[in-house]
Amino acid sequence: MRVGLLPSENSSYRIIIWFLAIVGILVSSLPVIVVTLMSFSASSNTGFPPSEFSLRWYSEVIAMFTQEDASSAQSVVDSTVTSLLVAVLVMAISTLVCIPLAYALARGERRIREGMELLFTLPLVFPLVILGIAFLLIAESLRLEIGIWRIVIPHVALVIPFVLRNCIGAMQGISVETEEAAISLGASPLRAIWDVVIPLMRAGILAGLIFALIISFNEFTITFFMYTIDVSTLPIWMYSRTVSSLDPSTLALSVFIIFADVVLIVLVDKLIAGRANLF
Amino acid sequence: MSTTNTHLHIDGISKSFGDVQALKNVDLKIKRGSFVCLLGPSGCGKTTLLRIIAGFEAASSGRLMLDGADITLMPPHKRGFGMVFQSLALFPHMTVAQNIAYGLKLRKVSRAEQGRRVEELLNVIELPDIADRPVSALSGGQRQRVAIARALAIQPPLFLLDEPLSALDAKLRDNMQIELRQLQQKFGVTTILVTHDQHEAMMLADELVVLKDGEVFQAAAPSTVYQNPADSFVADFLGAANIAPAVVSSPGHITLMGQEIALDPVHAVGTKLNAAIRAEHIRMMPLAEANGLTVGTVTFLRDLGPATELIVTVESQNLRVRCDNASVPDLAINSQVALKFDGSRVSLFQS
Repeated sequence: MRVGLLPSENSSYRIIIWFLAIVGILVSSLPVIVVTLMSFSASSNTGFPPSEFSLRWYSEVIAMFTQEDASSAQSVVDSTVTSLLVAVLVMAISTLVCIPLAYALARGERRIREGMELLFTLPLVFPLVILGIAFLLIAESLRLEIGIWRIVIPHVALVIPFVLRNCIGAMQGISVETEEAAISLGASPLRAIWDVVIPLMRAGILAGLIFALIISFNEFTITFFMYTIDVSTLPIWMYSRTVSSLDPSTLALSVFIIFADVVLIVLVDKLIAGRANLF
Repeated sequence: MSTTNTHLHIDGISKSFGDVQALKNVDLKIKRGSFVCLLGPSGCGKTTLLRIIAGFEAASSGRLMLDGADITLMPPHKRGFGMVFQSLALFPHMTVAQNIAYGLKLRKVSRAEQGRRVEELLNVIELPDIADRPVSALSGGQRQRVAIARALAIQPPLFLLDEPLSALDAKLRDNMQIELRQLQQKFGVTTILVTHDQHEAMMLADELVVLKDGEVFQAAAPSTVYQNPADSFVADFLGAANIAPAVVSSPGHITLMGQEIALDPVHAVGTKLNAAIRAEHIRMMPLAEANGLTVGTVTFLRDLGPATELIVTVESQNLRVRCDNASVPDLAINSQVALKFDGSRVSLFQS
């Protein structure tokens, strides 16, 4: 018989562990539960719990996407497309930057690696509002029409620490000897990286990609400073719909987003990794 | 040695890491088709030397000549030496067949030819049915053989091995040593193996190179190194040798632990020397015949089956003695024994 962490006898210890587990699960899933329940509400106010259920907000969301809405300055379709485009660009750029960087840092001196990691983590400890103002100041002082890059560049800065950490973590599992083995068999150093290092980093790269996607797609604070009438993302659009009065259709939309996120994560995971290895 | 017979000439190679000198003017000529073992304690520079030969480390000075051509500055991937690493370094994301074929793929060998060569090598290493398995599904011995097959697949001019057997258990290691030697002879490839295991080196090598502190102490056939070690370090390192002070007592004789031995030292009378004598070259004699011999007390006794190994303490010096079980009746701890040194097997060094 296995000796588990949980004692089989009833004891206060066992009750405490269950209590903590339930509190943890509730706290982390409560917002999702509330939003999902309310999105099925039949009433147009946002009392909780809903007294009647319907799918009217879901049909409204579908209508928003299928019918041109001339009234709002920026349509939900445009914001969604922008959000996705930003996320894809952020994923691509951060990965392309972080793979060689992680390689160099993991193979280089330990002190340099730790210093660089700290440097790239700075955007995380910086208050996001101030970071947003800083990026806005830079963008305005340069007076450049850079379109979508107004949002992509700050997102990349925000995402890099996560992607970099994942890539460095993946690099540390790859011994120099594996690389040297490829070189001894005739691979140039670059070829050895392509044939051996990148495939072995795959799980870490994948985890980085998913982090980049989620963080960029949900980013609000910095984007709030950077968006323009032409370039705006879905979180900004949702905020604009709820700032005066809460529109339940945004709740239905966020359920869609949660669902799409999960599908996307599973899909990317299956496509690139072949097997689940997210955390 | 004719120059055509020399395959690799390590010509005065030195290597420094900062203030530490890892290799000091190493000069070796390695014969074509020979099996050379670089033997030494950890930190002696043997792995550094192998990595310089492979091209993963640059020498601080000196040259590497392969078939008379200078390859000192040639990058490792152009040298085409097959290498087996200490960790084996198989590619975990590839199958056995993909591992073995990797070097061939880089050489743009056709797929059909790759498949044929992989099959041939798998037969040579006696694992014909594992081609499509992932390397993670292999046992230690199988991984070992796949690593060897992968390195030999590219038909390397030099076959380099960095302590490849150190992770295996004793029985498997013994078998692998024999297999490795047979494979090397079959392929006729010039082979350089790094090890700290003197037994392994004796088993495998045509030529044994004993290194210490970055210097070659002796390079010769294993039997020569064993019988005539160049100095007390080599004698000690090659296992179970007793080192004791000796004095040249008269021309043609030395005194070793009170025992007069007929030897022909070139040294003057009165010179203090170190004498090395192996455990199996000390004979046990009955105490009745102790006259002129060394007498000591047995302080350790272990029956190893075919032989008995004991430690005999003579005036606070411990001597390791190994003898046939038949020749030593009635041995016990604390009993007194007489020891006779075989004069022809005693090696003398300057102290």
